[in-house]
Amino acid sequence: MLVGAAAGLIAGGLGAFVGQPIGWAVVTGLGLAVPLMVFGAGYAVLVALGKVPAGVFAPAAVYWVIAFPLALLMHAAVTAWVITGTPSLPPEPWKFLAFRALVSMGFAIGFLWMHEQIGRFWWPRIIGHNPYARRVVEQYTHLAAALQSRKAARKPTRSL
Amino acid sequence: MDVTSKTSEVPEEPAAAVTEKVWKAGRLEPMPIRKLPDAPPSLHILGPTVFLVALGVGMGESYMWPRLVLVFGPDIRWLFMVGVTLQAFVLLEMARYAMATGESIFFGAARIFKPLMWFFYAAAILIYMWPGHLSAGAAAFEEISGIPWQVTACVALVFVGVLFSLLSVIYNFLEKLLGLLIGLLVVGTSVIAALVGNWDDLGRTLSGMFAIGYFPDKAMTSAWFPIVVGSIAFAGPSGMQQMWYTLQLRDSGAGMGAHIPKIRGLRTEGEAESMPSRGFMFDTEDPAEMAKWKGWRKWVTFDALLLFWGITMLVTISFTVLAMSAARENPNVASLIEGGDRSAALKAMSDAFASAGSPILGTLFFAFIALIGLNATLGLFDSFSRGQADMTYYFVPGAKRFSMSRLYAGFLWGVILFGILILLFGPADGPAGILDILAFLSTFAMGAYCIVLLLTNNLLLPKKIRPGPVRNVIIGFGAVFYLGMLFYCLIRFGVAVG
Repeated sequence: MLVGAAAGLIAGGLGAFVGQPIGWAVVTGLGLAVPLMVFGAGYAVLVALGKVPAGVFAPAAVYWVIAFPLALLMHAAVTAWVITGTPSLPPEPWKFLAFRALVSMGFAIGFLWMHEQIGRFWWPRIIGHNPYARRVVEQYTHLAAALQSRKAARKPTRSL
Repeated sequence: MDVTSKTSEVPEEPAAAVTEKVWKAGRLEPMPIRKLPDAPPSLHILGPTVFLVALGVGMGESYMWPRLVLVFGPDIRWLFMVGVTLQAFVLLEMARYAMATGESIFFGAARIFKPLMWFFYAAAILIYMWPGHLSAGAAAFEEISGIPWQVTACVALVFVGVLFSLLSVIYNFLEKLLGLLIGLLVVGTSVIAALVGNWDDLGRTLSGMFAIGYFPDKAMTSAWFPIVVGSIAFAGPSGMQQMWYTLQLRDSGAGMGAHIPKIRGLRTEGEAESMPSRGFMFDTEDPAEMAKWKGWRKWVTFDALLLFWGITMLVTISFTVLAMSAARENPNVASLIEGGDRSAALKAMSDAFASAGSPILGTLFFAFIALIGLNATLGLFDSFSRGQADMTYYFVPGAKRFSMSRLYAGFLWGVILFGILILLFGPADGPAGILDILAFLSTFAMGAYCIVLLLTNNLLLPKKIRPGPVRNVIIGFGAVFYLGMLFYCLIRFGVAVG
């Protein structure tokens, strides 16, 4: 969940418009960050429940092809609300959603990448009470075992 | 190269000479047979390809190709598609040799014909000693912060040197750092593209990738053809970056690279294990070993397709969408790009992004360019030092009395000191007179490494793990593609790539 929130915050920070008054920038920034955080956390929950395998691209891509356009639609509505005083949908909403759905592939790869990069420092800390973290750490332990066997295999070469 | 020689002897290891099985490859020392380690699960996107992505997503993706799209339209992007796809196959074939032997492709080149390796040794110094990437990134940072680019670049150079010298195992840290920076870049460009682009921009960008054969008359002029050739060569990792990838694969412990110690920083070099004098081979007649080999091929293919091809393509699609959006908002951007130099064009693109949304978008454009410059600098300095240390250690007489760590540090600090001198007293991109030669060498090296790959993989590896005919044809096409375009450019227009 923390990783989802972190990804949302990064994206939200990037989306904050500093050209606007600071209050507007914060609101429009949050308008993107909060939905992305919620969807990111949702993805983490699905993985934790075992509904989605960890680290696999296809499920993340399917998830974000829906979640990413919706997050940007909410951001557009919030931005319109801040500027005009009334929340409204962007013109040609289906085209709006379709474009963001295609761009979501990039976000999905970046999200998954960050999820793995940050998660491997975080998961061992919460292994005691989080079954998802335990499952992922077990996968990494398997990887570490493979690395250990490589190290053992390396020993005979030391005399070379 | 000779299957029957697998049971021959290793002369310098008398204790094991009677029973040691070896694989004789080329003219150098045979490779002892060792066990292939188990392949890791390919699910998790952590691997040495992060270096290629860091090096590959550079000015070609963020500037050169968006510029071509603005000048010639999105249909020109089919050439980018060809370039990056070709590079993905090169990656897989480089990995084949490195993972099967634990040797770099430089060592493989020396096994075929030593002067080939010396060509790459000299070319690396000539091409990569100039701190061009760093100065481009620092210039972008100056646009954001106002700090003079020479100051940022010099501080960054010293910082990189101290950092790499203090690290325990350099590879581990760099993989993590570049991983985070690239993640930031991919997420950031996707979000910005989603904010400022539209369906039509993306549709035209994507359809342009399949407009095979489109080549406008203007692209055949002496002004633009060299630039088009340079852009194709610089789609994805260019120059010698793919060759360095074999060293990163080795240091990550991929395949038989597990039997080679990792390069350490100077601080912990005393803890380093002794470096074997050549690589190793696994027993390709053992079905269990071949099953593990298939696991490793699956792992690296996943890396090549999703990480390398996917991320490179996505970042450049995002930048192209941004460029088209910028051109829509500011129609002058194309003429500014056609007429101006690189910094003017970057500024024009930044201004156009700002006008497409808000000032932060213009700032973010420069932030991404600075981030790309930082990624490239970290990756290039490490890779250059790694490659030169490897060739020096194995092939320069007397160099073995220094450890690999010291040689690495020597090349690293050498390139840093030269870089500082150039930044302070000379042109950062190198003297204008030799820029053409460097660009020529860079593209020539790419054609040459395709030929080296064909030779190493087909002559030095056991038959069971050699590439199939389709892959050989693709790599052969790569050699003709790079060398053909290069010499056509030289003969027809009398200039090297731009």
